Amino acid sequence: MEILQQLINGLSLGALYALIAVGYTVVYGIIQLINFAHGEIFMIGAFGALTAWILIPGESLGIWQLPIMLVVGMVTAVGTSLLTERFAYRPLRNAPRLAPLITAIGVSVFLQEFVRLFYGRIPGFPDARRAIPFPQINYVTGPAIQLGPITLQRAALFTMIALVVCWVFLYVFVNRTRLGRAMQATSQDPDTARLMGINVDRIIMVAFALGAALAAVAGLAWGLRYTNIDFRMGFLAGLKAFTAAVLGGIGNINGAVVGGLVLGLVEGMATLIPGTFGGSAWKDVWAFVLLILVLVFRPQGILGSRVVDRA
Amino acid sequence: MKIPQVITPERQQRLDPTGRWVGIAGGVVLAASAFLPWAYSFAALDGMTLVGYPSPLQYCGMVLGLLVAGLIICSRLIKPRGKIRVGWVRGAKAAATGALVYIAIIILSIAVELGGLINVVYGGWLALLGAALAFAGTRLMIMDKPATLSHAQIGPTLEILLIAVVMGAALFATAFALNIDDGGTFVSFIAFLGAFVAVLFRVGAMGFLSGASQRHRKVLILAAFVVAFLFPFTQGGSDANMSIATQVIIFAAAAMGLNITVGLAGLLDLGYIAFLGAGAFTAAVLSRSAFATADIHPPFIVVVLIAGAVSATLGLIIGSPTLRVSGDYLAIVTLAFGEIFRITMINLDGEAGPNITHGSNGIPAIPDLALFGFDFGKPHVLLGIPLGRFSNYYFLLLVLIAFVILVFVRLNNSRIGRGWVAIREDEKAAEAMGVNVFGLKLFAFASGAFLAGVAGAVKAHQDISVTPDQFIFLESAFLLAAVVLGGMGTVLGVLVGATLLKLLPEKLRFVSDFRLMIFALLLIVMMRFRPEGMIPSQRRQLEFHEEDEELAERIEEEVEETGALKGAGVL
Repeated sequence: MEILQQLINGLSLGALYALIAVGYTVVYGIIQLINFAHGEIFMIGAFGALTAWILIPGESLGIWQLPIMLVVGMVTAVGTSLLTERFAYRPLRNAPRLAPLITAIGVSVFLQEFVRLFYGRIPGFPDARRAIPFPQINYVTGPAIQLGPITLQRAALFTMIALVVCWVFLYVFVNRTRLGRAMQATSQDPDTARLMGINVDRIIMVAFALGAALAAVAGLAWGLRYTNIDFRMGFLAGLKAFTAAVLGGIGNINGAVVGGLVLGLVEGMATLIPGTFGGSAWKDVWAFVLLILVLVFRPQGILGSRVVDRA
Repeated sequence: MKIPQVITPERQQRLDPTGRWVGIAGGVVLAASAFLPWAYSFAALDGMTLVGYPSPLQYCGMVLGLLVAGLIICSRLIKPRGKIRVGWVRGAKAAATGALVYIAIIILSIAVELGGLINVVYGGWLALLGAALAFAGTRLMIMDKPATLSHAQIGPTLEILLIAVVMGAALFATAFALNIDDGGTFVSFIAFLGAFVAVLFRVGAMGFLSGASQRHRKVLILAAFVVAFLFPFTQGGSDANMSIATQVIIFAAAAMGLNITVGLAGLLDLGYIAFLGAGAFTAAVLSRSAFATADIHPPFIVVVLIAGAVSATLGLIIGSPTLRVSGDYLAIVTLAFGEIFRITMINLDGEAGPNITHGSNGIPAIPDLALFGFDFGKPHVLLGIPLGRFSNYYFLLLVLIAFVILVFVRLNNSRIGRGWVAIREDEKAAEAMGVNVFGLKLFAFASGAFLAGVAGAVKAHQDISVTPDQFIFLESAFLLAAVVLGGMGTVLGVLVGATLLKLLPEKLRFVSDFRLMIFALLLIVMMRFRPEGMIPSQRRQLEFHEEDEELAERIEEEVEETGALKGAGVL
């Protein structure tokens, strides 16, 4: 039964990774940039949601606030993401690949520091230099659901449902809309796409925005699940999510989702490893070992990469 | 749409004399203002309240003012002789721009330190006016041709003497800068140095110096190390600056190792700090600390080699599977590896894993080194000048960094180094030409890791304790920033980058909270406007500005003249 329990835990954790991983994969699929700052976009999404809750008068935990928090979180995350794209990455579109990657590290540190230094300075806002308790909204948090021997946290269930909804939305968006098909075309061949009349700059913005919106969902889910947020939460989560994206096959949206779930499962199962190198202390190590193994034996990822190696 | 040309050649011809006079006037006003008070209170900067007694910073302002005026006058009086040209006007322009920035920083510092611009007194405003006049005046002047002083020769004796003098001046400036406690004064002085060096570059003096040092390379290197060796003697027994200096050297040595991986072979390593950590932990575990977990305590020389070997092995382990994938993946895998290392070091605490490192507490109380009967922990007196604990380590570290630089330079100028360049510029073409791509990449990884391991072993003893939280990702990012900001693939650039990155936070305590943010912004802005770094190697510069035909032509010309690609790595 312990296995089943860890399976559920792993899946819900994996759902979080999957939501963030989509952002890495769409951006990488189009401009071959590891958007190192994407983890911070996720963090900013969580802070945006928190801000919405603080700005709503009263200390109510009513479920009606959830959509407002979600929308504000998304707007903040998308806005930040588009700003970084416009001012940090776009000028480097044709630079050697080292330059945007280093810029991305800079952006990542900058966003972390920005939140750490300035969030708490707004009157009435909590000091962001420490972990901030996240509002535990009714119904989506609270007493866990018991399914026989298995405990299912409500926030975990919320995360999984959110992933399913987002996945359906993504599927429809990418395959059924003009914009989504333009995105696919651009990721296959940006030059030809441009010749076909696709505004590549706009598609790149859409990719950044799409990733940021899903990251904001993940940020909210994270806050509900782990009950507090801090300015550093994006680093490890982002790293894991990138691992997930590579695992599934970078550039492949379904791959990101599958990769996220697999990574979550591996982490969940790793806690079951008996003996010295098992337990939760080593689960991060196993996650990264998995990444290295995948790169050695199947560099194109589980579902296969959609990116031609243009390096 | 046609953009109307505001400055036509004719108009520029007409304005040139005006600009000259305005520039001279500005320079003189700036120089004269040094004798007037600049700040209201003695508490600001280094005390600029007296009439007739300039403070050191005011003297610096005076130097810049006189430079502007002097260079403009020289540009009219001294005609070029033969092929040798001096860039007088270029120098004057640089001096004026530098002076304006310098005075602006001083005025801002006064305002910050005393609370408001009201505390800037008439002398300060006069200085600003002078600098602005000089700036405006020199802008109006017609640019002269680039200097060609690198061909000039004044005979070996004078040249060697000159190198010695320049080195001495550098030592003096460093000692002076390090003894400044006040943040504003420090920044201002650095700005002055920057302006001064820029003028030297534009005038062509740097070209001459580099020409001279090319001819007397051995003298130059010897002089550099003599100066570095003399540095502790300028501190009068104080260990405060020496502690910073040792930190700087360890950081620089690690950055130089990373420079092999990133700068020469072009492999982005985001987990490099793990190699330094591996070396430090190896040395700590093998040390005679009461908390060391190994039972054998070999002599330090052996420990250094073991530490280097452990790091290099780690480099091979992480490198061999991942070097087959393209560059971006490598960045993330190395980053993941850095995290694995840190988490593992935390977990090897006896509970989650075997007890090797005492977990997040690390290994404290590592004893000082004792080599050949020389105890590094005790202060010594040499030539009547007391030298503290950190000075002892400083000398050891000098040897270390000399070794690291030697390895770097020798590798760079070898068949291996040329192979790396080929891989960096076009991996597939290199492979087609028969370069052993995989082997060379692996070697770059391992040799960089080895040097970091050696540096880490010394660091463990110098820092007394080793903990996992010294080896977080941010440290890797800092190392990478030192390499990138300084100039990938160069020795001098990386030394300068490492020094600035380590030194500035120590001196800028008043912005300590914003330190990381400034660092991040610096990184972004630098990538945007000067991705090749402060002191780039010319090959790198070309790689980053492929479309810049002018640059390519200039470098080609230089190569024809000197017969070699200068700055491809060495100095």
